[in-house]
Amino acid sequence: MRYSHNVYLRFSDSVKLTSSTLFKGIALFGLLMVLTSCGTSENNVATGNRTGTLHWGNGTEPQSLDPQIATGVPEHHIISSVMEGLVGKDRKTLMPIPAVAESWEVSDDLKVYTFHIRKNALWSNGDSHTAHDYVWSWWRALQPALGNLYAYMLFPIDNAQQYYEGEIENFDQVGVKALDDYTLQITLGNPTPYFLQLLDHYSLFPVHQTTIEKFGAADERGTRWTYEGNLVGNGPFSLSDWKINRRIVVEKNPLYWDAENVKLNRIIFYPTENVTTEERMFRAGQLHVTNDIPADKIDVYRTQKNPALHLAPYLGVYFYRVNINTPHLSDRRVRRALAMSIDRESLTRNIVKAGETPAYAITPPGTIGYQPPQELGFDPEGAKQLLADAGYPNGDGFPATEILYNTNEAHKKIAVAIQQMWKKHLNIDIQLLNQEWKVYLASESAGQYQVSRAGWIGDYVDPNNFLDMFLCGGGNNRTGWCNEEYDRLILEVAPAMKSHKERLAIFAKAEKMLLDDMPVLPIYIYASKRLIDPSVKNYDSNLLDQASYKDIYLDGESPVTMQVDK
Amino acid sequence: MKQDSLSQSEIIEEDGSSLWNDAWIKLSKNYLALAGLGILILLCVVSLLTPWIAPYSYEQQNLDLGATAPSLQHWLGTDIFGRDMLTRIMYGGRVSLMVGFIATAVALVIGILWGAIAGFYGGRLDAVMMRIVDILYALPFMIFIVLLMVVFGRNILLLFLAIGAVEWLTMARIVRGQVMSLRNQEFVEAAYSLGLSQWTIIRRHIIPNTLGPVIVYTTLTIPSVMLLEAFLSFLGLGIQPPESSWGLLINYGVETMEEYPWLLIFPGVALSLTLFALNFLGDGLRDALDPRTSKD
Repeated sequence: MRYSHNVYLRFSDSVKLTSSTLFKGIALFGLLMVLTSCGTSENNVATGNRTGTLHWGNGTEPQSLDPQIATGVPEHHIISSVMEGLVGKDRKTLMPIPAVAESWEVSDDLKVYTFHIRKNALWSNGDSHTAHDYVWSWWRALQPALGNLYAYMLFPIDNAQQYYEGEIENFDQVGVKALDDYTLQITLGNPTPYFLQLLDHYSLFPVHQTTIEKFGAADERGTRWTYEGNLVGNGPFSLSDWKINRRIVVEKNPLYWDAENVKLNRIIFYPTENVTTEERMFRAGQLHVTNDIPADKIDVYRTQKNPALHLAPYLGVYFYRVNINTPHLSDRRVRRALAMSIDRESLTRNIVKAGETPAYAITPPGTIGYQPPQELGFDPEGAKQLLADAGYPNGDGFPATEILYNTNEAHKKIAVAIQQMWKKHLNIDIQLLNQEWKVYLASESAGQYQVSRAGWIGDYVDPNNFLDMFLCGGGNNRTGWCNEEYDRLILEVAPAMKSHKERLAIFAKAEKMLLDDMPVLPIYIYASKRLIDPSVKNYDSNLLDQASYKDIYLDGESPVTMQVDK
Repeated sequence: MKQDSLSQSEIIEEDGSSLWNDAWIKLSKNYLALAGLGILILLCVVSLLTPWIAPYSYEQQNLDLGATAPSLQHWLGTDIFGRDMLTRIMYGGRVSLMVGFIATAVALVIGILWGAIAGFYGGRLDAVMMRIVDILYALPFMIFIVLLMVVFGRNILLLFLAIGAVEWLTMARIVRGQVMSLRNQEFVEAAYSLGLSQWTIIRRHIIPNTLGPVIVYTTLTIPSVMLLEAFLSFLGLGIQPPESSWGLLINYGVETMEEYPWLLIFPGVALSLTLFALNFLGDGLRDALDPRTSKD
């Protein structure tokens, strides 16, 4: 998208004096087609297979590569290639596997974890990597001035929340201790069944103290420590080149503890914001893996039985946030009316098309056996009634409302469909507003929106991951919704439950409270959809859609399967 | 004698028939230009009447129908939301033609006046006025429009004005150049010697003589303005869904041209037809209006 933007600017500027905009446009278009479609004798995929370079469509330009500031999925892909947590995930089963920690013990009351850190784990600049790095990193993650939206991921740790909220001043009281250089002891406030999974989330990754302090204060946002040449990580790859809006290159890190098993030499991440362009790049052999597939193309790939097509269940929910501080949206009857007039069946069947399922709750059904309450189905009559009760009979007097989304054709299509559903069933006027990813994240966090498109991808497999987003003042809440009873259920009652079943029952009770108030309008449960070149091996579509970059290898020799010729 | 002088004056009357009369006579012999004019009038009439004659609603979706090829119910097919393409193109034409004509008209008025004044008076005034044009040229015009939209909000009329306000620069330069070459010609001096005011000279003698290049440039401005509108809408600054314009329809059509070619072809045909019509008409008008061609 940005690319076409630039092209337009250039060509209309030069055409000012002369004239025929159209013909130059056609010529330029032709030139682009030549450049992208055939042109060079060897494309990225072929070169990449020879040199061990993976070309990865990453969706958008990352907001930041600071693991304690980033919040998005595109950022996740890059960060998880250059950094690593104590514990990793098996790429198929998602079960915890040793990473920086070679082993760990858990106490009988399930509250004390002792990790033994590998002695051969090093930072990418050669510094030794110790338990103290974790203590410092998590201290940084809990500095309010840093504005870490994921700070609540550390709250299972004893006293972490109290420290973050300023109730205790002394970080020594937080349950993180380096017993010696290579032994880290973590004490939890309550038994947390998903705690090991959390350690593989970037907000709990270690960061390099000396580097951060070299470029600014520890709790200063946006310093230059994440730039190419500065960033020091501990992952299988290290950042070598960052051209904004063009590409991010990571090279194999020879100091990584498991370097001999890292098969790729480098990965190049491309900010492919336009799905259509991305799909064309894939067909032209410029990408090994795409981030998405245009909905209209899915049927074509399906009928061809094209082996590049990878559709898989994905633990994520697509929803709209409602800013409940907007006067006319503060009435929960209005929000419920909005939710009830979205025909999700039709939307998933006709617009998104990749096997997504309609969502009526914020937690994907079946997450470790959890069944969320299913309420507020499609009921236009009931919605109309609710809106009338709220003082807007037949939508009369309902102020013009704006849907905010980040620039992307797929989001736009959904917004256009929902705009019309609300117009048809509620007779209210909706405007659409699109912003570029970083701007959109900033507007959403600042509460400068009315209704905003959102997606939440599981960081770990547990309903808690979806529900603790909506704690009062949680960094990823962003709706202004706050319910103390809900907070109590999630933070205190659920972790104290003895059995799995009881714990899920508490989650269901909490989620019911959330859905009664509807600060969010769930729309559908994601399916991951990618085009993957057959030469990419050891890529497994798992529920979190997280690739294990160190396992992936490229094999261009395997039988080449059919090319899409349309 | 009386008889004679009368007939002579009649002859003179005929020889001195107005520029427009002459132009029309010449234009009516140029069939391509006439066809262009006819198509434009037809498009304008259809656009004006669209709310009454459109077969369907432009916003009513039928998701289950989805994108269908042209059929008896939907002559030009439907888009992925199941909306009738014929209706969408008709409504899109309203926006595109309106933005084309209004923005161009704004550019014309400002550009001609600015250029004519600068060129006619010359000297210091000319230098100041043209430096202003240079400065505006140096501003990236996208940023200028984006700023206008941000300050004054998203308003379709404002969009027209904003586009017009950046498109007049070239027009001003062209007119200025023409005027400078005209202002020392004999007929202008003759007008001076007859005691006409400067403003009357600009209006009656200078501007009509610049019409040729101006009209050609106008016919080229209209399509580029239409494309600019499409681009702004794509950035989220112009027309917003569910409304549409030809530029937006084409933009979307390009993305799905392999699966649903009719979503690209029909709006593309509509836009091309308009552009051809404008170009033929512009060519014809230039030939017809050039005062230097011999009157036969």
